[in-house]
Amino acid sequence: MTCREVIEQRLAPRLQGDGGWVEVAEEDGGRVTLIFRGECSKCLILDRCVSWMREEIRRETGEEVTLIPVRKKPFFWDNQ
Amino acid sequence: MAHVKVVRRSMRPEEWTDLRFTWLQRGIEADREEIGGITIRDARQIAENEYEYDPAGERPLKKGDLYFTPDGTVFMRMKAVIPERMRSQQVYFSLKTAAEMIVKINGRYAGGIDPNRERFPLRPSDGYELNIEIEAYNRSKPDDERNPASLSKRGCRQIFEGAYLTTIRDNVQSLVYDYTLLMDIAHSEYFSEDYRRFLFKELSRALDYVDFETFEGVDEAAAYVDRVIYRNTDFRGSGDVALVGHSHLDIAYYWRRIHAVQKNARTVLIQLRLMDQYPEFRYTHTQAYTYETLEKYYPDLFEELKKRVKEGRFEPVGAMYVEPDCNVPSAESLTRQFLYGQRFFRRAFGLTIDNAWLPDVFGNSWIMPQILQKSGVKFFVSNKMSTWNDTNRFPHNNFIWRGIDGSEVYACVPPTHFITWNMPSQIQENWEAYQDKEAGGQTLSMYGYGDGGSGVTEEMLELARRFEKLSIMPKTELTGGAAFLRKNLEGNPNLSVWDGELYLEMHRGTFTTKSDIKKANRALEFRLREAELLFSLQALKGGDYPADTLRECWKKLLLNQFHDILPGSHIHPVYEDAMRDYREIGEKLDALLAPLRADRWFNSLNFRREWLAFIPDEKGPVTRDGRKGFWSAGRLHGLTAGEAAPLPETPDWLKVREAEGGLSVETPLYDIRFNPDGSMASLHDRSLERDWVRPGCGFNQLRLWADHPGMYDAWDILPNYRDVPVAFEVAEPLRLTYRDGSSCELTCALKTEKSSWRMVIRLFAAHPGIEVEHLVDWHEKHVLAKVNFGADVLTRELLCDTSAGYIRRPLTKNTSWDEARFEVCHHKWMDLSEADAGLAVINSGKYGVGLEGKEVSLSLLRSTIRPDITSDMGSHDIRYLILPHAGDAVAAGINRTAFEYNVPLTPVDPEVPLWLRSALEASTLYLQSMKRSEDGSMLILRLSEQDGRRGSFSLGRRVKLLNLLEDVEGEAETVAFRPFEIVTIGVDM
Repeated sequence: MTCREVIEQRLAPRLQGDGGWVEVAEEDGGRVTLIFRGECSKCLILDRCVSWMREEIRRETGEEVTLIPVRKKPFFWDNQ
Repeated sequence: MAHVKVVRRSMRPEEWTDLRFTWLQRGIEADREEIGGITIRDARQIAENEYEYDPAGERPLKKGDLYFTPDGTVFMRMKAVIPERMRSQQVYFSLKTAAEMIVKINGRYAGGIDPNRERFPLRPSDGYELNIEIEAYNRSKPDDERNPASLSKRGCRQIFEGAYLTTIRDNVQSLVYDYTLLMDIAHSEYFSEDYRRFLFKELSRALDYVDFETFEGVDEAAAYVDRVIYRNTDFRGSGDVALVGHSHLDIAYYWRRIHAVQKNARTVLIQLRLMDQYPEFRYTHTQAYTYETLEKYYPDLFEELKKRVKEGRFEPVGAMYVEPDCNVPSAESLTRQFLYGQRFFRRAFGLTIDNAWLPDVFGNSWIMPQILQKSGVKFFVSNKMSTWNDTNRFPHNNFIWRGIDGSEVYACVPPTHFITWNMPSQIQENWEAYQDKEAGGQTLSMYGYGDGGSGVTEEMLELARRFEKLSIMPKTELTGGAAFLRKNLEGNPNLSVWDGELYLEMHRGTFTTKSDIKKANRALEFRLREAELLFSLQALKGGDYPADTLRECWKKLLLNQFHDILPGSHIHPVYEDAMRDYREIGEKLDALLAPLRADRWFNSLNFRREWLAFIPDEKGPVTRDGRKGFWSAGRLHGLTAGEAAPLPETPDWLKVREAEGGLSVETPLYDIRFNPDGSMASLHDRSLERDWVRPGCGFNQLRLWADHPGMYDAWDILPNYRDVPVAFEVAEPLRLTYRDGSSCELTCALKTEKSSWRMVIRLFAAHPGIEVEHLVDWHEKHVLAKVNFGADVLTRELLCDTSAGYIRRPLTKNTSWDEARFEVCHHKWMDLSEADAGLAVINSGKYGVGLEGKEVSLSLLRSTIRPDITSDMGSHDIRYLILPHAGDAVAAGINRTAFEYNVPLTPVDPEVPLWLRSALEASTLYLQSMKRSEDGSMLILRLSEQDGRRGSFSLGRRVKLLNLLEDVEGEAETVAFRPFEIVTIGVDM
């Protein structure tokens, strides 16, 4: 599996199970920019989840990647 | 001189008490022994009680490690030995977590741990050597905001804080409960200022006795509290509040329904263990489905629960299968909720539940009282109208609810939320909000966390034991749901009557959000009707009746009518589960019906069809709803099969020409002037000699609006949604795209930057119906799509189908109640009529209707992003029929046409006994259901009066008169019915 496949097929459904959402925005060598939406966009401990995702990608593909999280928070969560 | 704001930096006396209260809480735990050698295995639940395990297997888990993964379940194991030093005391298992845990000790379901409880007591019978197994589900969405600070600990990845055997200082714990109670009052504006000042002063003095290093002086502090605060009777409160333990459980919401199995089991387990500790504790629990899953997957717990049910302490409430949405499901679906719910309760516990318990549903249809009453239910409980209404204060809490047919039930809309933690301030708030103080007896306050927060806690019960010591508190009583209802409502002559629907002035978007789910639900309601009818006819001549499969299909449909599934207020995986369930039901019905297939077409309705029938045919010239086919007159008698010939041709029936930037279309029935976007500038009715389009208004006009409801995104449409229109372009203006000798199609293409839209308008040479099909590729965000009908009809009301009769909704905005109902729910049709003519819009799976003064609108699509950012994205096929008619809706037979529009002809040719066919066709009642009785002994016919008439019905033989539970209540040859009555009769098979 490629890094994108691991994210889209293995990891994204799990985040969706918690009301979250992740999309691959850009892949540039070993740097992968991820957009987090839904519940993930306001998660206070997103960094822990991103670390877990990195470990899962390494376990599935053997690749070391740098994940760059970007939150897309809806306007009605701006005050939270 | 510059103004300098004075900021107080020193600690107030009240804050000093608050601070010392936190120190006191730290003293609860007396001793702890960390449990080592813990192993953990990650998993993800993939079906009910089925898991996909992490291939890495078990791994050690140490304090400080991260554990849990998104949507994860973990299985933990550990062994512990109770140290000698603890053995003479009560020992607890303790673990702080944001997850929800079921804990087994030496094979016994010992207790539960979650964010609301971090310990439970061990039993002496557990012995000193403990084999501990934990199943834990990550808790992504808390149901309460009691401890906002703990939000930082919640999430997909958590830090393990260790597992322990602990002992506690009982006296400190007891004083903490005292302070929890008293500090809540001291901080609450619901209590008198004088009393609060008194409390703060005395609570501070009591804590002066305590040494917060050694916790000496706690007994003296407790004695001071007892002597000075509890025994003080100078401050008097008033009120009488019934406290009912309850845990609301969403079957699916921010979790899939597969997780509700464990959420429910944990909740039940925790309540059972509390019953072991607190003999006065009674608990109410709803939804037959949750009991069913407990019986299936946790038989030990279910047996224990049954014993408590027998004792009257664990109380099944809510006679329905789940807590469904009560706007969108049909009358037959609501009936089945009671039928299958009550059948379960009767089998499992020998009980017929006499109440409907729907605390969280988004308003309640006017058809409910009759369905309740005929399902053995006298009482109705639903909270939201009191606390969520955004415009008007619902005027009653304990009252009588009169339904569309005049049936009455006792109703309770409790004044406050259904999730509380039994704090004095919440109880006082309930009493103050209670509007039937003089007439209604006690007020109902439910206490207990919900949604896997697992209900009542020790703290709630400890507080309850202290309430009677406080003269400032209302009188309270720990009681059960049914006991409260019987005591205060039954036979109460002083109750007011509410005669109408229980409309919730909020969550108006739930009639529309997730279009696919609602469309599938409507289609399957009718497919199940037809399947049961066909197999009943087969059974009448000695054939098989696949009762188990049909019941299984119904139950799956009912499960998906849960009030956060069908309304569309859920995360994306819940949507996927629902659509998969619908496909499975469809496939099961296809497989069942395949052997019955014939070359003739069957009309399963009990009246002669007048509206055209669309016959699927791969060689057909027309594509409709994604299928090729042709139009047939379809004029078959009720319950009759026949040939489906194409419509007869009418020469030169259609004239189309370009005019005034649009199209002018002449048919034998209409002169229509279309705009390029498919809307009509004029719809002249030749036979009625009038134009149906109100000058200056849109008619069949697509409108897009910015739809930003805020936090309740999937739920709400705001009253100002028409402030900001969203532009779209006409990509291809309306043009004639198909014609034959009996029908034609006009098509236009519309688009926004992200979405494309094709509107197909069908006109017929010899039928007044104008069908509109919208084929949409929808990719908007926060846009509401509606189609407007500005009809030139002088009326102040819109008739809306409820699926079992119609409701008249005011089009005026004279009162705040009118204004608040700007978006309402209807079923198959709506109608605007004058005395001699009117206009109906009949749909095939839409529910939301906007009432905007001069125009009414059918809500088509939304595009909300919470809780599901993909909500309503993708392809949609939406159909409706515009039907001008002579006479009013009843005279025009709109109910009949609406059934025809939703129930296609089927290629089967069943044998229908003449006595049955002729009696049913002669009747003015509508055949809602024909099925075999659940016990297999009778043919059941359920007939509904939907036009507002009295009359009688006879099958020409003696029949059994049944309630909706299929209980025999009498016999008769002729059955009299009243307006909007649902009649159920049984014929021996």
